[in-house]
Amino acid sequence: MEIKKLAESLNPSERKVFKVLDNFSSFHDIMKVTGLKDVEVMRALQWLQNKNVVKIEEKQKELVSLDENGHNYLKYGLPEKRFLEAVEKSENISGISKKTNLSSEEIAISLGTLKSKNAIEIEKGKEIVVSITEHGKHLLKHGFPEEQFLKENFPRELSSLNEEEKLALDSLRKRKKIVKVELSKIISAELTDIGKKLLKENIDDNLIEKITPSLIKTNAWKGKKFRRFDVKINVPSIFAGRKQHYRRFLDEVRQKFIALGFKEMTGPLVETDFWDMDSLFMPQFHAARDIHQGYYIKEPKYAKDLPENVVKNVKAAHENGFNTGSKGWRYEFDVKRTHRHMLRTQGTACSARMLASKDLQIPGKYFAIARCFRYDVTDATHLSDFFQTEGIVVEEGLNFRHLKGLLRMFAEEFTETSQIKIVPGYYPYTEPSASLYAKHPQLDWIELGGSGIFRPEMVKPLLGREVPVLAWGIGIDRLAMFKLGIKDIRQLFSHDLEFLRNAKVV
Amino acid sequence: MPTITFSLKDLQHLIGKKITIEEIHELSHYGKGDFEGYDEESDEVKIDFGDTNLPYLWSVEGFARLIKGILGMQKGIPKIKISKGDYQVVVDKSVVKYRPFISCFAAKGKKVDDYLIKQLVQLQEKFCETYGRRRQKVSIGLYSYSRLKFPVHYKAADPLSVEFVPLEFKSKMNLKDILAEHPKGKEYSWILEGFEKYPLLTDDKNEVMSLVPIINSNFTGKIEIGDENMLFEATGTDDEAVNLAAVIFAYALHERGFELHSVEVRYPDRKKTSPDLEIKDVAIKNEQIKYLFGLELKESEIKHLLEKAQFEFENQKVKVPPYRKDILHPYDVIEDIGIMYGFDKIKESQLQTFTAGSILRINEFIDKIREIAVGLGYQEVMSPILTNKDLLYKNMNVDDFGTIEIDDYMSETYSVVRSWLLPNLMEVLSRNKHVSFPQKVFEEGLVNTRKGDDVKEWSRIAVASSHDNSNYTEMKQILDYILKCFGLKCDIEEAEHNSFIEGRVGRAIVKGKKVAYLGEINPVVLTNWGLEMPVVALELNLSELFEMVERK
Repeated sequence: MEIKKLAESLNPSERKVFKVLDNFSSFHDIMKVTGLKDVEVMRALQWLQNKNVVKIEEKQKELVSLDENGHNYLKYGLPEKRFLEAVEKSENISGISKKTNLSSEEIAISLGTLKSKNAIEIEKGKEIVVSITEHGKHLLKHGFPEEQFLKENFPRELSSLNEEEKLALDSLRKRKKIVKVELSKIISAELTDIGKKLLKENIDDNLIEKITPSLIKTNAWKGKKFRRFDVKINVPSIFAGRKQHYRRFLDEVRQKFIALGFKEMTGPLVETDFWDMDSLFMPQFHAARDIHQGYYIKEPKYAKDLPENVVKNVKAAHENGFNTGSKGWRYEFDVKRTHRHMLRTQGTACSARMLASKDLQIPGKYFAIARCFRYDVTDATHLSDFFQTEGIVVEEGLNFRHLKGLLRMFAEEFTETSQIKIVPGYYPYTEPSASLYAKHPQLDWIELGGSGIFRPEMVKPLLGREVPVLAWGIGIDRLAMFKLGIKDIRQLFSHDLEFLRNAKVV
Repeated sequence: MPTITFSLKDLQHLIGKKITIEEIHELSHYGKGDFEGYDEESDEVKIDFGDTNLPYLWSVEGFARLIKGILGMQKGIPKIKISKGDYQVVVDKSVVKYRPFISCFAAKGKKVDDYLIKQLVQLQEKFCETYGRRRQKVSIGLYSYSRLKFPVHYKAADPLSVEFVPLEFKSKMNLKDILAEHPKGKEYSWILEGFEKYPLLTDDKNEVMSLVPIINSNFTGKIEIGDENMLFEATGTDDEAVNLAAVIFAYALHERGFELHSVEVRYPDRKKTSPDLEIKDVAIKNEQIKYLFGLELKESEIKHLLEKAQFEFENQKVKVPPYRKDILHPYDVIEDIGIMYGFDKIKESQLQTFTAGSILRINEFIDKIREIAVGLGYQEVMSPILTNKDLLYKNMNVDDFGTIEIDDYMSETYSVVRSWLLPNLMEVLSRNKHVSFPQKVFEEGLVNTRKGDDVKEWSRIAVASSHDNSNYTEMKQILDYILKCFGLKCDIEEAEHNSFIEGRVGRAIVKGKKVAYLGEINPVVLTNWGLEMPVVALELNLSELFEMVERK
């Protein structure tokens, strides 16, 4: 940045700090001279450093300062000095104690210190009697070096002490809470070459900080300069209100189907055996219909609103093939059971309802993004509560060739590939049945979905006549996980707010 | 659904040709199978055969048979030789009301080895569990018949008066105790529930062979390495399925080089030679092939493709091998014609007819509501619909107001359908106490309640805001704003709702319908969720609102 622009970019506290940096470098001094608080100085220095005006130096130093007792003794004198002053010639301990108010601990320390300094003599009789020596008198007159040390201007750097001071420090450190030596950060700031150049610039104190309504109204901004902002600055992050990540993905899938000419269809979560399975020509004794494959509900057990004439047709299809040319499953269809309430296990239930609906249009294309439920443990790869994407294309004259064309279109739409494999598959309600594999650009070959042409035993009882119905389902969860970069399927329904706020929008 | 495991060498031996793993992968598609892997060390191939109506493929012999057809090594229905045997099973009329059908045959002339036992057990288990509906419809037993005296008797026996030593046990037990104590008894006793007498197989010396369909005898009821003479038996409630089990095993053992002998089954009212290897006819029409696949095939092509699939074709009639009971409709045969033609060779066609796509009206409305909530700065969440009563009611300080409960749930955590949405949002807040505030969240979704004999399903939206200044006004503003967007207004009546603070909860009424609760959450509820920050919330019925907007 040009020096001139730089000068215009300093904010008030930066200006204040910068102006003293020519003469002062220590953090402590800058605070004193500018009258700013430590956080203000620190922030200003950091901003200046960001602008390459100063270089902040941090050093780890050992600092000596007074502790609790040290402050006291600075005020009232060291206990040994007060002890010695109380000994005029000779005195017993209780007398000294009374005169000085020293604690017994302090007295013991004083006795030891003074004895080692040769300042007193001790006579042990019935009571301890202390007398002052010549050296003692000399000490009183010239002062204790330790006490002298307490009067220093603290904090001081350990390395700046002379030999004599070090001796005093050592002897005081052996005693309780008089001095402390701590590691501390010493901050100082040096002007850089740019900083030195900046010194020569005119630093304008009259820059406008904030543009305000009154400033605009009164034209007070005219003839003044706005302080330049650092537009490259890093700012704190915010979050917005937004759609849930998986729901957004499903919204897009829905839009794709609409663009491809499909109408949305639906059905209730609480389904019946009838719409969920019986109407799909799945025999009531079928292995996929074990009690443990779906969730039956406690109450109400049975639905009251099934179209009984359609139930009759479906019953006939199971028992003898209805009038479709099929043998049927040849068992006694349980009409009560078909009314049994359960949670929808497959989106195909929506297709069955659509085929029996008076709203069905032929030709017509339909899709559903249906919430389904399965008897499954919930873990990283399974949910008991998930979405299925299913649909049908109903039109005279359609056959397996059109099904292949349709599947290719889906593969191109959902995996952006035209490399597909269509292999024989099995679904109880389609004949022929086919599985669709697509070569995903990143995931390699994946099973994208299942498909087929609905069996006449399913279509005729629901619709009243035989029309080709191409049916398909797409495994949307896996595509969503890949697109959203999710490894654990439970994250599709995540309750982690940080994750939801920060999930990539794709 | 059933996944089978077999040795690659064995498969190659059965086919009589070396084939690679890649080829097996491709060939498995013809049987609607998913290749799951090959372990070089153990030489084991795993394939999942999805068609629950094609149990013959749940054995390596069946898969090898399919492959021989595809590769043109065997045309039409595979031949099987079975001689008339001098073995009888006498079915007593006492068993007819419990488990009426039985099918048997004898196999001899080869020594059984460890691998074959494993393969037989695998086929037996897959067949009985899936096709046999966990042994209820069909169960299967194998015996070494050198220990048996014919005829074999199939009858119903008193649970307390018959005793034998069941497999893997050392001492005699009566039938009732076996059901109560033997692991297989415990697993399958449900099949015999409510029966006064239990189905039993004995030989002519009255030696028990099996308590059907639970467990065989430890003496006669097992096959061991080195055995040469086997008796196969399948019993059940469906004659065709019981016979199919015998046919599939007979074909498998025939292909392993065993000599097969039929068994005469004497029912109280008739005699039958078992197994029944009858070949049935299905008539197909050329137009049906065109109708399903868009293929126009010549008679000779149809014949060729059908023979590859191991059918035979004469005079527009398809002959179906006895191990194929999946043919209900002519289309089931025509699918096989398509498969043998090759799905990949069938030309693709594009859909030509234009249709207009559209989204459900209610979903259009819901999307508008969601857009407004997002615009108000709220984060959308989506939760599982399955939950539990503790979260719905106990934590929310209210009584159950009609819940759809799952009859036989897998985990208590997911044991009911949610009856309202707000507990989901409370759960979100309770999991994010460390995350920065304000926390503003909403969820739109379906809820279900039970009203007597009816199930009610509604679309709802719940909105919650949590920060140290959150208050009633905030929610009222949101409700007012949403309604205003659709030209609606609400009246608020004071409400009683224990999830909210008394005197700070309102019920919103739009055009005479109660559509929402809104208010400040009760500290009792906050504490139940472990929350320390105030929360205000509303829950609005979108199905009702949609009706009003549509009617305008």
